[in-house]
Amino acid sequence: MSRETGTTYWRSLHELQGTPQFEEMLHREFPEAASELPEGISRRRWLQLMGASLLLGGVSGCRWEAEQFAPFAVRPPNRTPGVPQRFATSHEVGGGSRGLLVTCYDGRPTKVEGNPDDPLSCGGTDAYDQAAILNLYDPDRSDSLVEERGGQRFTRDWSDFDRFASQQFANLKQRNGKGLFLLSEATSSPTFHRLLVELQEHYPEAVCLEYESVSRDNERRGSQLAFGRTLRTHYDLDHARVVACLDADPLGMHPAATRHTRDWAAHRDPDSGSFFNRVYAVESQLSITGSQADHRLPVQSSSIRLITAILEALISKQLGDFPPEAGRSGHRDTRAPQSAPRLPFSPDVVLSPDALQFVEALADDLVRSRGESLLIAGHTQPADVHARVHRINEWLGNTGTTVRYTAEPDAGRLSHRAAIDFVCTELRDGNVDTLLMIGGNPVYDAPSEVRFADALQQAQTSIHLSAYRDETSELCTWHLPRAHAFEVWGDTRSHNGTYSVSQPLIEPLLAGRSSLQLLAALSTGDPPASGVPGERLVQDTFHSLFPESSGRAWDTTLQDGFLADSALESVAVSTVSALQVTVDAIPLTPSGRSLEVVFSPSRSVYDGRFANNAWLQELPEPLSKLTWDNAAILSPATACEFGIDHGDVVTIESNGRSIEIPVYVLPGQAENSIGLPLGYGRTAAGTVAGHVGRDVEPVGVNVSTFRSIDHMYFESGVTITPTGRRHDLATTQEHFAIDRVGLEEISGRVGALVRQGTVSEYAEHPDFAHHEHPEIPLWEQPEHDGPQWGMSIDLSKCIGCNACVVACQSENNIPVVGKEQVLKGREMHWLRLDRYFTGDMDEPEVVQQPVACHHCENAPCEQVCPVAATVHSDDGLNDMVYNRCIGTRYCANNCPYKVRRFNFFDYQLPVVQPEQSLKQLAFNPEVTVRSRGVMEKCTYCVQRIRNTSIIADNDRRPLEDGEVQTACQQSCPAQAITFGDLKLAGSRVATEQSKPRAYGMLDELNVKPRTKYLARIHNPNPALEATT
Amino acid sequence: MSSKRFHFPAWTNRLTRLLPILGGVSLLYAVTILAFGASPETTDVSYAPKQPVPFSHKLHAGQLKLDCRYCHTTVEESAHAAIPPTATCNNCHNPADANGSVATVSVHPNSAKLLKVFESQATGEPIKWERVHDLPDYACFNHSAHVTRGVSCVSCHGRVDQMEIVQQVEPLSMAWCLECHRQPERHLRPLDRIAQLDWVPEEQLEVIGARIRDELGLDPSTNCSTCHR
Repeated sequence: MSRETGTTYWRSLHELQGTPQFEEMLHREFPEAASELPEGISRRRWLQLMGASLLLGGVSGCRWEAEQFAPFAVRPPNRTPGVPQRFATSHEVGGGSRGLLVTCYDGRPTKVEGNPDDPLSCGGTDAYDQAAILNLYDPDRSDSLVEERGGQRFTRDWSDFDRFASQQFANLKQRNGKGLFLLSEATSSPTFHRLLVELQEHYPEAVCLEYESVSRDNERRGSQLAFGRTLRTHYDLDHARVVACLDADPLGMHPAATRHTRDWAAHRDPDSGSFFNRVYAVESQLSITGSQADHRLPVQSSSIRLITAILEALISKQLGDFPPEAGRSGHRDTRAPQSAPRLPFSPDVVLSPDALQFVEALADDLVRSRGESLLIAGHTQPADVHARVHRINEWLGNTGTTVRYTAEPDAGRLSHRAAIDFVCTELRDGNVDTLLMIGGNPVYDAPSEVRFADALQQAQTSIHLSAYRDETSELCTWHLPRAHAFEVWGDTRSHNGTYSVSQPLIEPLLAGRSSLQLLAALSTGDPPASGVPGERLVQDTFHSLFPESSGRAWDTTLQDGFLADSALESVAVSTVSALQVTVDAIPLTPSGRSLEVVFSPSRSVYDGRFANNAWLQELPEPLSKLTWDNAAILSPATACEFGIDHGDVVTIESNGRSIEIPVYVLPGQAENSIGLPLGYGRTAAGTVAGHVGRDVEPVGVNVSTFRSIDHMYFESGVTITPTGRRHDLATTQEHFAIDRVGLEEISGRVGALVRQGTVSEYAEHPDFAHHEHPEIPLWEQPEHDGPQWGMSIDLSKCIGCNACVVACQSENNIPVVGKEQVLKGREMHWLRLDRYFTGDMDEPEVVQQPVACHHCENAPCEQVCPVAATVHSDDGLNDMVYNRCIGTRYCANNCPYKVRRFNFFDYQLPVVQPEQSLKQLAFNPEVTVRSRGVMEKCTYCVQRIRNTSIIADNDRRPLEDGEVQTACQQSCPAQAITFGDLKLAGSRVATEQSKPRAYGMLDELNVKPRTKYLARIHNPNPALEATT
Repeated sequence: MSSKRFHFPAWTNRLTRLLPILGGVSLLYAVTILAFGASPETTDVSYAPKQPVPFSHKLHAGQLKLDCRYCHTTVEESAHAAIPPTATCNNCHNPADANGSVATVSVHPNSAKLLKVFESQATGEPIKWERVHDLPDYACFNHSAHVTRGVSCVSCHGRVDQMEIVQQVEPLSMAWCLECHRQPERHLRPLDRIAQLDWVPEEQLEVIGARIRDELGLDPSTNCSTCHR
């Protein structure tokens, strides 16, 4: 493996090394022959199918099908048929929730958007929120109760369960609840916790536990160590000039990530007049935050403790040197440490010179910006690292400014790790009579050592409430279908404590009930009532939580989605003096060259709960661009050392545990560190993610079987050996290569596609991104009245979180094509995120660039279409007329941005099958569902433009700036995308496009793209910049 | 017997020269039949399906002079001019209640023709009306965008107030839509006359149309994405 350095840009190692596969790829427009059929279907069968559909087409050709209207007998109030309604609700993942607005067409939820007023969402969402709508219409969701008795399974209904439960729970009540164990997934629902308290009153000896396979318990224990009480940490990125992340991903994997991203992005704009922040990341795997960092140090996760200690020593030494009032803003009250912590070794012994220089510069920067700096430790790191970080923040005077603490709701509960261990021990000891599991899937995601599946057999009765009949449900005596969050009443408290209500947007589609309904029925100990109304439960909680609220407060909360000013209140903290003793007692050992594995939730399917969501399975992972798989992430150097190539299947072993998994060689991974994404290898998920019982191959590899209870997030001392087998990994990074000739050209060229500079360069040459090209028009440009639509994308703000990609998929009825088709380069996403690496192979910088149709004014696609299926509209849109398209694909060939997508097959055809028809409800009725042989591409959400214009025209008023929002723009947590009328003086998009760092991609082709990019500006530390 | 009588007579040879002409004519015939036979004028115009309830627009809109918007309430705010809920029928037509007493304002409380309406009222199940004007799914038509800009119901639906059974009178084809989008003047009228199907203009249509077009600043678009998204 050759090593190249310098300022070349590259998208993958294949490209950097110029392998034959990549060269071949480069010279083909579509990576494989267009005539290839999907596997698993013979040519004969295909012809039969085609013949049959032609016949049917002929039969029904005379007049289209007669349709019927079925108007309401009594139309509900506030309902206008055909006019979408939007309801505020919230969506919770792993105990963290976000306020949403859900669009419903005629009573059918179709699109999720962030609630702009919600303090945590601020209108942004993440990919999981966006994809929640597809889960609602997932036909694989469980639709019936199943009881296992005597080795046989019976389908039951709720009244059967009510009968069973009334007897079972009456018995338990007589024994004061002895033998009743409740294991729930993490939830912030106040009603849930109120009902738990009620349950404990009626069953005093019942044990209530909570388990999440990806938990933030280390943070809780860290605050316990530092402050002597369990507190929740909140970061204020709006006031942080210097942010340092230690294996932390505040912009990506955090319950408050959308808010963090909004605040962070507000200070990545050199034109805003506000300060420009600087981000340092010390981490083992490329995280979303790490990929945006100005400086990044890849180190093993097991070395973070050591680096934190060194950082602490350097900072305390520096603070001793500085007089307290000499901070940048002067007034900060920094507390110099009484006694500087001593390191048992000299830093330069354990750190490489480069790493040491990095840590020194970081310490220096943190101290210089004290009071306005911020140090964040990630949830993977042990409690003592968190405690140290709290103490450093306190020394720096950040506490109260950039970091703030509140009480932790439910502070007394057992940690997730201890809970799963405890419940398994109790199960084995035969102390569990009835195990009630609410959500979660511990058979799949519990660490292997606790052998949860075996232990579960020891429970006499096990009840699992779950949306799917998953791995856990299959081993329980009762499976109960759980309703989707959009079907039932619920409430949540978001990370900052804001109280939110979630209201049902549709009647339960598949006989499910909510966790609140189930718990309410069981908690009283009386014979359970069937289907307790959830609204009453939630309302009761609301009135008990906010007794002083006015009579209309409930209605207002329901309408807004959240109760204003209900966030948790900050508490004053100071670190306990015993902390020094505690952290000193933990030995600091350099990790050396031992191999480690790092477990992290997948950015596509989280911990596996979204595995059966096809949108998320096909979503290219933000950094590896991998779809439909997980893989062991290795750095190029480590792969080289062990003689492993990209796509090799390897065996990873440790203490008798082993897994086999394909390898993905990704620059940016720390040396000797293997990243293992959780959430794949589901054996009872459904037709998308795999179901062994139904002969559907699992997608990816389940790495939780390799997880040890003592090393939930990283483990050192593993071994890796190639098996000699290979595995096809479907990545999208090399598709749609934009190039002129060959690879040498590319490196120079990508620099022109993504333009970036530093803050100081921008100050010196504000127009550095502007390239002068002669623009000789071939014909006169037509002038039109009315709006001229345009978009601008700020590369400084885009973090590559993928929310826009799923939002676009949901809004525009974009099909999912499957792994096989992705391997052939036929994914259909209208909006793709190009991820470029630059610089050194092991410590690369990352740039993300969203690319969709640029709506060129001199559109090359329009000029080659033989049937005028793509034409220009008066308001500057490049219209795509599906009915005219005959599928020559000339336009895709001629598109310099490679944003046109071709329907090689009728990818939406499966939804007409009766068993899949539920998915039809997820379609946006405003957008045509395309069929085979048709080209498609981004339309700038033309349906939104047209509908909004019609409403404005009906009211006889001009369109306001910002009234039309595209789906991608709306979902973006960083507000990197601006859309609007370029001709409207003072419109936001016109302002953005007139900034000196705005440039058109490939504008030298004179295609006059309507989408402009704002060059990426970063803010390197001059002390570190000199060396790199 | 000679086999001669099985042969075509010699003069028929002259006919073979006409064969190309015959071919041409039959091709023309086929094309004409296909073009006219499959055109919306033939397939769609005068389509008048039987409705589950024999509701007469002629009676309600014509003789009784009910405004179109009394039933089709959403036409000014929504893409759809929604078919009214059963409750709208019940405003006038209420059946006898369980005791056999009838509200004094109820019209035809015992009519057999209204049975389905009463049934729907009692059960809450919708009446399934046959759709008459059915655009293809890839064409997005918005009622509110037309009636708030001076295009009357009559322009597309004809004199519904004279129809016993509603039938389609216009082809609703793209060419027909474009005709008006290119020259809307003939179809524009004062906004307070939108639902007045028997309106007689005091001036020439083009003059009124041009004035309204100016007043409302209308510029109907003929871009593809105006209707196809």
